[in-house]
Amino acid sequence: MSRETWQEQLRRGSLDLAILLSVSSGPRYGLAIIQHLEAFTDLVVTEGTIYPILGRLTREGLLDAKWVEGEAPHARKYYRLTRAGELRLREMKAEWLAFVDKIGRLLHAAETSAR
Amino acid sequence: MNLSQVGESRVNGYLFVLERSLKSFLPIDIVRDARREIESHVRERVAAHDGSPNEREALEKILAELGSPLRVAQAYSSERIVDEAVTTGRVVPIARALWHLAVTTLSGFFAALGLFAAYLAGVSFIIVAALKPFFPDNVGVHVTKNGWPIVIGAVWPAPVQPVRGGYWIIPIFLVLGFGILVLTHRGARAFLGWWRRRRVA
Repeated sequence: MSRETWQEQLRRGSLDLAILLSVSSGPRYGLAIIQHLEAFTDLVVTEGTIYPILGRLTREGLLDAKWVEGEAPHARKYYRLTRAGELRLREMKAEWLAFVDKIGRLLHAAETSAR
Repeated sequence: MNLSQVGESRVNGYLFVLERSLKSFLPIDIVRDARREIESHVRERVAAHDGSPNEREALEKILAELGSPLRVAQAYSSERIVDEAVTTGRVVPIARALWHLAVTTLSGFFAALGLFAAYLAGVSFIIVAALKPFFPDNVGVHVTKNGWPIVIGAVWPAPVQPVRGGYWIIPIFLVLGFGILVLTHRGARAFLGWWRRRRVA
């Protein structure tokens, strides 16, 4: 597997979690989610492809979407976590932390035995 | 930055191509919502930009970061069409998703080709079984003079050598046909599920 493929898989696998985390503190509209992700990660490669993912998460019932008029010269579509989204996010966070912990221990073991 | 008429035309052109691409795969209400959201994104980016070094370059940068309209449309279509197919498992959404992947990706093309051949084989067995009662001399296992089977199915005009196999081929071919269809359909759903897991965001 090439380095790019591996990185792409990592990015793809963590994007849903990152998006759910972005709206966990309160509703955000699409561009605000993208900017939030860009501030902390390099997960957003093509901005336009985030919107279909937001649509899928909404269809899956993890996000709730609502158009808000009058806040800016153009309408903004806000996304917020639903109850199901909160539960899923909790599960994903626990799984992510467990995964990182396991890989961390593996890295540590590899470094220790190499010395 | 406030867009000039040229800038507005560029944005409208982008949105037009996006909308037209989405229309070929998605329901109109989804298309309108997607267009509205992408337009909101572009307007927001434009409003926040100072227009340096000039409007044209600034706008092109914004649109490039957003992705080409075809790339964005493909991402929308893939998310929606493949999700619906995998979730429902219904024939029409699965056929639509396979068609979509066949015309947009190389792996999808070859997978769709193989699955189409398998679907065709399943349907063929069922058709042959259905034809047997009406054309008993034409439908069955056709053999050479030495008794080697050369064709399983229907042949017109009726061959000189009598067909082997009586009406027993009907239940066998029906089971084979429906069995192949069910297995192929499961294979198609599994392929789409695999594709959904590995799709590029």
